[in-house]
Amino acid sequence: MAVSQLREGTPFRLRASGLAGTVGALIGAGGQGAAYHASIGGKPFVLKWYHPHVLEADTRLPGRIARAVERGSPDPRFLWPIDLVEVSGREGLGHLMALRPPRFRGLRDLIAAPPARIDPPLVVRARTCLSLAESFLHLHAKGLCYQDINFGAVFIEPSSGEICICDNDNVDVNGAPASVYGTKKFMAPEIVRGERMPDAGTDLYSMAVMFFYVLHAWHPLEGRAEYEVALMDAEEEMRLYGTQPRFMFDPADASNGPVAGFHDAIVRRWRSLSEGVRRLFVQAFTAGLRPGPAGRVIETQWRAALARMADSILACPACGYEHALDAEDADPDPRRFACVACGAEVPLPPRLLLGRDAVVLCQGAQLHAHHLDPARPFVYGEPLARVEAHPADPAVTGLRNLTADTWTSRLPDGTGAAVPPGRTIRLVDGLEVDFGRRRGTVAAGQSPTR
Amino acid sequence: MTLPDIETAGLSHRQLNFFLVVDCSGSMAGDKMASLNYALRAALPAMREAAADNPETRVMVRVLRFSTGAAWHVEPTPVEAVEWGDLQADGETHMGAALSLLAGALTPEGMPGRQLPPVVVLVSDGQPTDTFEDGLARLMASPYGRKAIRIAIAIGADADLDVLTRFIGHPEFRPLQAHNAESLVNRIKWATTAPVRSVSTPVTGATPMERLAQEAPAAPPPADAMVW
Ligand SMILES: Nc1ncnc2c1ncn2[C@@H]1O[C@H](COP(=O)(O)OP(=O)(O)OP(=O)(O)O)[C@@H](O)[C@H]1O
Ligand SMILES: [Mg+2]
Repeated sequence: MAVSQLREGTPFRLRASGLAGTVGALIGAGGQGAAYHASIGGKPFVLKWYHPHVLEADTRLPGRIARAVERGSPDPRFLWPIDLVEVSGREGLGHLMALRPPRFRGLRDLIAAPPARIDPPLVVRARTCLSLAESFLHLHAKGLCYQDINFGAVFIEPSSGEICICDNDNVDVNGAPASVYGTKKFMAPEIVRGERMPDAGTDLYSMAVMFFYVLHAWHPLEGRAEYEVALMDAEEEMRLYGTQPRFMFDPADASNGPVAGFHDAIVRRWRSLSEGVRRLFVQAFTAGLRPGPAGRVIETQWRAALARMADSILACPACGYEHALDAEDADPDPRRFACVACGAEVPLPPRLLLGRDAVVLCQGAQLHAHHLDPARPFVYGEPLARVEAHPADPAVTGLRNLTADTWTSRLPDGTGAAVPPGRTIRLVDGLEVDFGRRRGTVAAGQSPTR
Repeated sequence: MTLPDIETAGLSHRQLNFFLVVDCSGSMAGDKMASLNYALRAALPAMREAAADNPETRVMVRVLRFSTGAAWHVEPTPVEAVEWGDLQADGETHMGAALSLLAGALTPEGMPGRQLPPVVVLVSDGQPTDTFEDGLARLMASPYGRKAIRIAIAIGADADLDVLTRFIGHPEFRPLQAHNAESLVNRIKWATTAPVRSVSTPVTGATPMERLAQEAPAAPPPADAMVW
């Protein structure tokens, strides 16, 4: 391995553009190659240089990377190969990519032991999944397949949920002979059983596993059946993830259900999710355990359900546990909502009704282009409005206009007021706000009974 | 306030128990023992790093020393907390006794809770002076011994490759040979990190043992290249 390493200062050349660059310090080595800092005209990049034995074994690799370069990145969230890299007088090959900014953390840190663990709020987790769904939608829409979706490839900015996806070395045209089987626990059951190789359909399965992990910090197939395995050897793995996979929340089969006293935290989180998201997980891990388009949940389905859930999250005033508004709740009275963690009553918050959508207007809640501009669905970015307390009376909340345009508003009695940029409109029941491209109505919250 | 902490909520991740079985017989005295202590010290940070890359796995370390008789040198300790106390060499090579003692720990009682297949790394420079067969038989009869990933490192030219090969018991997996201090460091580092990493690395179709066999470091130069 030492032989294959590049020395700092080594000059290299980009195959397509012909530009010259210099190898910098080693970042780290993985299974397929090593990553180095690199500089081209003083600008920082990363050079991935493949291990010689990998190039020998995976003969399709150079062609694959060349095609990726030629096609271009399907979405800016992928750290896509920019060009092939050659070093004169040396065998071997590499590719150039952008440098991942240091604010990103490995998605794996969501399940790490403290203190390495990152613990973003539910809304950030939902946005992370949404962002992943969008990225893979764009990749699949280009006719490509990722092949090895797993925790190691995804990085997250923990406060915003912004993501970047590395490890694009295996991406290929969907249907091309795959170069890997995938990563344990993320592989679709038919791959685990050795019946199929990765394709866009198995990507969808792996993506659903990733979403379940992001929201629960747990694997969807690890219920009672996994709990009861004392020693997880290859046969047991084959059974749990290959030949007899069962969802821990399968409504029709409780044989791999949660174990009371052990999976309680997972059950709480599951019950706190929106109905729409839970329905997709059930599909992904019941019908979707089998290959074929019928069961596998596609990105557009995830995107819609996750965006809705992200808009409906509120925290229990007693214990702080976060829920989606239509979470599973034991209270038979639909106007009352009991916290799934502590049982306290969660008063219905004020909401902004936007056509068929509703956005919970808790303090700090933000509206984006996704909410206010029908032409830009699923676009978040800079907030266009924010729920804030009145500076003099914290009990009064309003919606601040963060756009450059004036909104108009109207109360049920017909009186109205303009809301210029930077100003805030008080949230009262029945208030209608015209945001320019979209109109919304405020539905008042409910104060706690008692 | 978001997800309650998984550990405090009663959820635990699977354990990977790592057993290091070290020959501390008289022939190891001097440079060899010093190199081995050095190699193990150097391997710990890499092992912790590998464990940190697999957050769903809790790696536990135990060390068993054998010379005249066998004894635990490190009781079960999370890899993050292991502190290396140097091993001393003297006496005979009771490898059979070591495997017997090991067999007693490779049981559901000795390894309570949800487990991954344990990893046993046997390091030796010589030939057993007790009945190796008895120890090996006990090991293979223990509930988790047969399922363990067994790796052997042969130090120097006098190591009994036949015995180590039988300990491994896998047709494609040979003992790793260390003929000098540097290769010992590399072998130890590989043996203590590769099995941990294999929990989450991309799958290539081979069984875990075959995969380890494929990536195991190649045999070093001949025995006369030995430098201690
Ligand atoms: N574009 C990048 N910016 C910053 N760091 C990177 C970049 N690409 C890779 N790295 C880091 O460099 C190290 C090696 O990465 P590399 O992709 O070679 O290996 P890997 O992902 O561990 O495994 P594999 O080779 O199997 O994909 C990792 O720590 C990775 O996070
Ligand atoms: Mg990589």
